[in-house]
Order: sequence, then structure tokens, then C-alpha cells
Amino acid sequence: MGEHNHVNLHVSKFEAPAKLKTLSFALIAIGLLTFVVGLMKNQERLWTSYLVAFFFFSAMGVSGLFWIAINNVSKAGWSVSIRRYAEATTAFIPGILVGGLILLVGFKHLYPWANAETVAGNAVIAAKTGYLNTGFFVVRLFIFAVGCMLFKYVMVGNSLKQDQTGDANLTNKNVSPAVGFLVFFALAFSFFSVDLLMSLLPTWYSTIFGIYTFSGMFQAGMAFLAIVVVLMKRHGYVKGYVTEEHQHDVVKYLKGFSIFWAYIAFSQFMLIWYANLPEETEYYIMRAQGGWMGVSMALLIFRFVVPFLALLPRGAKRNDNHVLLVSALVLVMQYVDIYWMVYPNFFDGHVTFGFWEIGIFAGFAGIFLLTIMSFWSKHSLVPLKDPRLHEAINHHVAY
Amino acid sequence: MAQYTKGIAGIWTDEHLILKAARKTREAGFTKFEAISAYPVHGMEEACGIKRSWIPYVTFTAGFVGMILGLLLTWWTSAVDWAVNVGGKPFFSLPAFIPVIFELTILFAALCSVGALFYACKIPRIDPPNIDPDLSCHKFAIFIPFNDVGYDESKIEKMFKEMGATEVKKTEY
Repeated sequence: MGEHNHVNLHVSKFEAPAKLKTLSFALIAIGLLTFVVGLMKNQERLWTSYLVAFFFFSAMGVSGLFWIAINNVSKAGWSVSIRRYAEATTAFIPGILVGGLILLVGFKHLYPWANAETVAGNAVIAAKTGYLNTGFFVVRLFIFAVGCMLFKYVMVGNSLKQDQTGDANLTNKNVSPAVGFLVFFALAFSFFSVDLLMSLLPTWYSTIFGIYTFSGMFQAGMAFLAIVVVLMKRHGYVKGYVTEEHQHDVVKYLKGFSIFWAYIAFSQFMLIWYANLPEETEYYIMRAQGGWMGVSMALLIFRFVVPFLALLPRGAKRNDNHVLLVSALVLVMQYVDIYWMVYPNFFDGHVTFGFWEIGIFAGFAGIFLLTIMSFWSKHSLVPLKDPRLHEAINHHVAY
Repeated sequence: MAQYTKGIAGIWTDEHLILKAARKTREAGFTKFEAISAYPVHGMEEACGIKRSWIPYVTFTAGFVGMILGLLLTWWTSAVDWAVNVGGKPFFSLPAFIPVIFELTILFAALCSVGALFYACKIPRIDPPNIDPDLSCHKFAIFIPFNDVGYDESKIEKMFKEMGATEVKKTEY
């Protein structure tokens, strides 16, 4: 406090680098091409790869909103100057609604419970049709997408309005919607992941599944935030407002949620392994055979062990390239994790990966990049009128 | 009973002033001085020139030792010394041992950290000299022991006064 140098405070206007823009359009073109070819040639493969990519980017979109909500609820000051980075990911949230509607076109290829013959031939699935039916599925998907859009509209909207009006009270007004969102999100995201991923194998259930996908979602969200913090700092868009102190704390989040993911993943695995009930173990048996055992082990090692040890030293959290590398690894493993939840249910349990998956993912990545870049180019990179901004500028991570 | 060191202490009532004072004291060449405050003052480590603590290394080592011991304990008791067939699972079933290994890792890491902290802070200090009772409330102090480099009472007193100390007194810490 009072110790820091306030001279070098500077925010530039963000302009999307032309190369990155071209790349995004190219990625979208690749995605569209894959989608159209897939519709004609290989529907099952198209929809499985679509589901993985859709879930990945939906999770990225809501991770920013969740992070803003916990910072609003805890009235955190240090994070104010990097809030716009997280708010940018929420620009993708309308994509959840659009992407969800597109998913409805092909969801009969994915979900056994949507197929009347399968339901008729399986008493266990037939007993679950009260929940697992097309109408209710659509309603839940719709509630999740529209709910997130509404909360985004209020919370991000207030933050942006503050840039114009400078009304400090808008910060307080954002607390109640944040509390509401956390409650809504806990339920809605659980339903979202149960519907989209768990119901691929309708005879199986895990009560911790929602938390499992949540932990992966938030770990990946923090990895993305860390990448943005490092790149924005490196390219000098923001000077003084965002420092390596903020980077340090974001990477602490990343490390903490790497541990949290391992904790939840192990909790889910250990209880099922120990109890050894046939209706529960099928999920892990499918993922312990053939090439899937290797993927399962890769998740354990590259999603927990490597990031945990790599991010343990203080110096590692402040080393830009190191943070970029580990964050990129975590993002890759988030994809592998969702892939690992979806794919063993298809293609006779063989590990199947190819240009379909890459193409569809590229399309989503292009849209995601475009939405966040257009968000940044429309708004200031730092909420300059936030009453807690001085706390963020003076933020200092003690030893 | 620990020996307390004689020295001289300056007392401040303003957090910003003591932060500057600590920096200047360090720049004046003193190395053994202590800054005393009722709560952590941001930037004080830098101002005093305190290096990073060695306690995290103790934590990591102790955690690692706890992990190995947990592994040995579960392996020895469940697979070697008194092997019991549980649900037809192998005697050495790592998933079942992870909670034990984890708990022992945390237990060792935590207890050793606390022990190392006590050692580093020379706790317990029974009935230590009281520089000023208000140091536990709204006052801050810098204490320079008599054996520090360039110790000169009148010079230090003058320096402290110049830096805004409300009071300077000869004391023990």
C-alpha cells in the first residue's frame, strides 16, 4: 500500500490482430465444411465430435460467468482489473442456445433413450423415461442456455454500464444476481452435464457427475484466463493494471482447481471401484479396456500430476512461458476429458480420433475466438470506473 | 529461557510511515532489525528485505515423506503382514490406499510446517519484554538490536525521529 509506482498505468484499445481474425474465419470455414460433409457422409461421427466440442466451449463460456459471480459475491478487489478477460468468454454464451438447437437435430444419433426401440427393449431405460424424454431434455437445455444468457445480461451488462455512467452502486447491484447465479448454476450445470454426457449411457449413473464436469470446466476456464492474462501483458495492451501479481493469483486458481478435479475424479472412481456394483462399474470397465486405459491414465497424469507439480513453485506461477505451456496442456486435457466421457459409448469402444473431431473443434474455436475478440474491441480492457480498481492496482501477493 | 537482546526501538502510529521507515532502515545498512506490527503490513517483507521463507521446503519434504510412509504402511499391513481378502480385490489395491496415503501426506506436511514455524519464530516465548502494549493494537515498531552493524544509539534515535517516530526507547526484544 502506498509502496507501488502508479506512473505506468495505461490501457490501449484492443484491436483484433488481423492474422488472428483471418485464422478464426479459416477455422470456422473448416468447421462448417466438416459439418456439412459429416451430415452427408458420417452422421454418428459428426454428432459425437459435435457434442464434445459443444460441451467444451459451452463450459468455457460459463466458466467466465461463474468466475465473475464468485468475485462479485466475495467482493474481491484484486480481480477487478482482469474481469474483462473473464467477461469476454461469456460473449460465447448465446452460442450455447444456438449450438444446443443444432444439437437437437442430431441428438437421436447420440442418446439411446431417444430411440423408441432401445427404450422398449430395456426395462431400466424405460423406467427412466419420466426424466429422459425428448420434451423434458429440450426444456432443461433451454433453461440452462437462457438462464445463463439472462444472468450474463445482468452481470456483464451492469459492469459495462459502469464504464459509461461511473455509478459505483452498480458494483453493489451485481451482488444479488451473482448469488442467484451461483445457486442456479449449481443445479443447471449439473443437469446440463447429466443430460448431455451422462445420459449417453442411460443405464449408468453417478451422483457426483455434475461436480466432476464442473471441476473440469472451472480448471479449464482458469487455464484460459491465465493464457489471456499472460498474452495481454506480453503484448502491452494493459500496463500497470494487470501485473504478474494477478497472473500469480490466477495460476493459484488453476493449481487449486487441478487438485479439486483430481479430488472429485478420484472420489467418483474410488466409490464405484470399492462398491463394485454392476450397474455402476460398467462406466469404468468401458474406460479400462483397449486403448481407453491409456487415455484414462493420461487424464490422471496430464490433468493432475503434471500441472500440480509444474505449478507448485512460486517462480513457476510468474514465468510467462511456463504458465502458457501448462495452461495449454490443461485445455487439451479438458478436451480429452470430455472426449473420454463421450467416445467409449460409441464405435464399439475403440479409441477413435481423426479429422472429424479436429474439424468440428476448429469451427467452434473460430467462433469462440471471434466472439471474445469482438467483445474486447467493443469495450475497455479494464473496468476503469470500478470503485475497487485501486485494490487491483495495488494488488500484491505476499510470500 | 531465551536470551533477549538489548537494543533500541522506534514507535510509529502510521502504517505508511513505518513502511517507509523500514525501507530506510534497511538502506541505512542495518540487517538484524525487526518490524513489529499487530497485523501483516503489505509490502513489509520487501521493505525489510526479508527473503522467502524456507518453511515451504519443509512442507514439501515432510509431505513427500508422509506419502512414502503411507504407502509403506498400507502395503505392509494389507499385503504383507496380515493379508485379508476384501471383496476379492488384490491385496495390494492402490485405490483403496490412496485416502490413507493422502491423509498421511497432509498430516506430515501440516504438522512439520507448524513445527518449523514454531522453530523459525522461536515460539513459545514466555513472558517476552514488552516494548509497548499498544503494539498489539494500533502502533508499529522497528527494533534494532545492539549487535547490528553500525549500531549507534544517538544516530539511530535521530534517524527514527526524522522518519516520523512518535517515540524512541531503549529496550529489549
